[in-house]
Amino acid sequence: MKRLHRPLACLVAVLLLLAAVPAPAAPIAHREVLPNGIVLLVAERPGVPIVAVRVFMRAGAAFEPTDHDGLANLTGALLTRGTAKRTGPELDSAIEFVGGSLEAGAGRDGLTASLSILKRDLTLGLDLLGEVMLSPTFPTQELTRKAAQIQAAIKRSEEDPGTVAGRALTRLVFPNHPYGKPVEGTIESVGKLTRDDVESFYRTHVRPDTAIVAVVGDITVDEARREILKRFGGWTPPAPPAPSVSPAPGGAPPRSETITKDLTQATILLGRQAVRQVDPDYFPLAVGSYILGGGSASRLYGRVRDEGGLAYAVFSYVSPGRYGAAFTVSAQTRTAETAKVVDILRAELGRMTRDRVQDDELKLAKDYLIGSFPLRLDTTAKVADFVIAIEEQGLGLDYADRYRASIAKVTAADVQRVAQKFFVPDTFNQVVVGAAK
Amino acid sequence: MRRGLLLVLLLVAVAAAGPAPAAEPVAPARVVAATLDNGLRVLLLEDHRSPIVSLQLWYRVGSRNETRGATGIAHFLEHLMFRGTPSHGPGEFAKIVERNGGQDNAFTSQDVTSYYVDIAADKLELVLGLEADRMHNLRLDPKIIDSEREVVIEERRMRTEDDPGGFLGEEVGALAFRAHSYGQPIIGWMVDIKRITREEIQAFYKTYYTPNNALLVAAGDFKADTALAQVKAAFGPIPRGPAPPGVTAVEPEQNGERRVVVRKQAELPIVYLGYPVPNQQSPDAAALEVLSVVLAGGRSSRIYRDLVYERQLALEAGGDYSYFSVDPNLFWFWATPLPGQTPETLEKELLGEMDRLRKEPVSDEELKRAKNQIEAGFVFQEDSVHRRASLLARFELIGGYGLRDRYLETIRAVTAADLERVAKAWFPGERKNVGILLPKP
Repeated sequence: MKRLHRPLACLVAVLLLLAAVPAPAAPIAHREVLPNGIVLLVAERPGVPIVAVRVFMRAGAAFEPTDHDGLANLTGALLTRGTAKRTGPELDSAIEFVGGSLEAGAGRDGLTASLSILKRDLTLGLDLLGEVMLSPTFPTQELTRKAAQIQAAIKRSEEDPGTVAGRALTRLVFPNHPYGKPVEGTIESVGKLTRDDVESFYRTHVRPDTAIVAVVGDITVDEARREILKRFGGWTPPAPPAPSVSPAPGGAPPRSETITKDLTQATILLGRQAVRQVDPDYFPLAVGSYILGGGSASRLYGRVRDEGGLAYAVFSYVSPGRYGAAFTVSAQTRTAETAKVVDILRAELGRMTRDRVQDDELKLAKDYLIGSFPLRLDTTAKVADFVIAIEEQGLGLDYADRYRASIAKVTAADVQRVAQKFFVPDTFNQVVVGAAK
Repeated sequence: MRRGLLLVLLLVAVAAAGPAPAAEPVAPARVVAATLDNGLRVLLLEDHRSPIVSLQLWYRVGSRNETRGATGIAHFLEHLMFRGTPSHGPGEFAKIVERNGGQDNAFTSQDVTSYYVDIAADKLELVLGLEADRMHNLRLDPKIIDSEREVVIEERRMRTEDDPGGFLGEEVGALAFRAHSYGQPIIGWMVDIKRITREEIQAFYKTYYTPNNALLVAAGDFKADTALAQVKAAFGPIPRGPAPPGVTAVEPEQNGERRVVVRKQAELPIVYLGYPVPNQQSPDAAALEVLSVVLAGGRSSRIYRDLVYERQLALEAGGDYSYFSVDPNLFWFWATPLPGQTPETLEKELLGEMDRLRKEPVSDEELKRAKNQIEAGFVFQEDSVHRRASLLARFELIGGYGLRDRYLETIRAVTAADLERVAKAWFPGERKNVGILLPKP
């Protein structure tokens, strides 16, 4: 393959999506607030007889109590492992018998349940989705099983240098904030989680007043409202107000970490905190990141890969969440060239702060970010993820238009000004995973 | 997922996510098909739901066409296809695509090398020009070849040297094929990547990158007749080339079990099983396709339900059949034992699943579920113009895009007796390739 689509990049894809954009003239989705607080978003997409439904709640790892790392992830994974009506295997069989899928899982900010189903089986699909959201039973045997699976997956992930490096960098970038913890927890922390923990996390955080439901596909607004109300209309919020999470504090001095593994390549990550879409600096930052390491025409791709032959994978990206954002530069190179590549990454960061970007670079980045937008909304699943993300981030259904306008306004001076805030090489945490030289 | 890794090794692909699985076929797609005078095969599919187009060039060349001592050349050339022509210098391709809001990439598999650009529909003519240019005018500069060689070597380190699943897959592939080039890694052996010369790459390009060895597929928001005229204008002037040499190697029947055990820095062991099986040309192909879903299609499949869920022996386990392979290939099975379980146990349990297939019929519910999953998968694929185009190409490459409809008919016709029969025929005790990776102490 010419270029690498990194799993890490996929993880932040939805968020990067927000960095894309011109919009269709019509609003991307119909929005309304149901009586119990659920925000319902519906995007009609006729043509293919399928429907995607997402239910998002503020129940991600950021909301875990201290010393319960991995609780949101475990809770999410257990939603589909048994309900008042059906066992886990019965749920699996029911959805797969009609060729659909029903998954639930947690990330940093939220817990999401996702249904993909043929239109003709929508009733069954929504019934199952309603059950897993509203009447999960969290059987102890299923918890034991799932915890063992998660622990084994964490162990196995230790052999993947990108995962190891990403986890270490996150810890350094967000030292005093839940964002610094691994979403999946650690082998030790997952081993201590109990059914009571799961039950209590579910009761506190899985609630209609922070829920967003997106329905996209071969369905009308009226039908979607009716079907969602039928399953979720009687869902009542718990009395205590929904918990909140503080934004990540900044300002920790940058640190460096080297993790030795018997590998032929070194995985290099440089990272620091940045800003998210509600900050006006976000737009110059997105443009600057694209110029530095966003695509095959970027500076890092040119210098490290095309000219240097030093790496297959090299890129930079902004990953905004609701409670904080990071800016990351990444490369993998043969062990012997580690120092050289680190120097180039740092030198190119520095150059972004010293010199204004060229007009043609600026134009290319802006044209790409604006022009590639339709590609980011070309499937039912992508539209569902996008509308959930803009709602959760509080960006508004017109965000696509505002984004395009904001990107179009970015000047070379803006990019340099923002680079002087966020690209200063000395402010980056550094992680290297690989063989000792 | 281990499955992801395995697919990477089989395809060096992953360009776009793997095919989703689907029930009632969408209204039959109206495909406009044409063959230009120079032999270029063209398939055009109008889809006006989004203002975009997916343009895909599929060359009928992959690692299958490589010789010993020059493995990896097809993939190396794929990289060089992005490094410039006399009219579009190094880096220009990417710049033009990105400036126009497009996304492009490519992948090399055993059978094909595929390039795509997904872009705003009004840019179709522009990217047709770019693709036509690099089909015929690629500049193979020695300096660029040497720097790209280092990039390919880094890719190999990432996918194979430093990846336990990739590393083991390469070993098992090499074990399973003695005569056929499917035993050679798509990315190439390291010594070959380091050695391959400009002259060899040039000759390979001239031999295989001809209009008569290529398939152009476009799906999206265009008028087919206009698009066809644009294709003719861009590609028509490129002369037909001599017919490329065929692959004559036929893998002889395997005599007895083959086994490889490797040690590598890893956290958990891995087990791979590879059974030589026929491809889509065989009357058994549809049953093998259904069998792969019965065994490994989702959480209600046998392997997941038994080994991962009920008995908690594996972190992951599954199987995959290579229906679309141009020549007969392998049916793969894999498992990652949970801590405390051994690869021997998992191997035995996987074999137990085959045994069960030979002895008792698959239930009506399992059979129906598998068929529903396959059919629903087709519908879900219709959601993306990129996937619609890819699926057309996959069928065209094995004999004609119309085979898609016949595929679904043959899937529907599969019976439990068919599954039992193919399991007996193709998963015999003695004709298998086993690979085990043990974590280095």
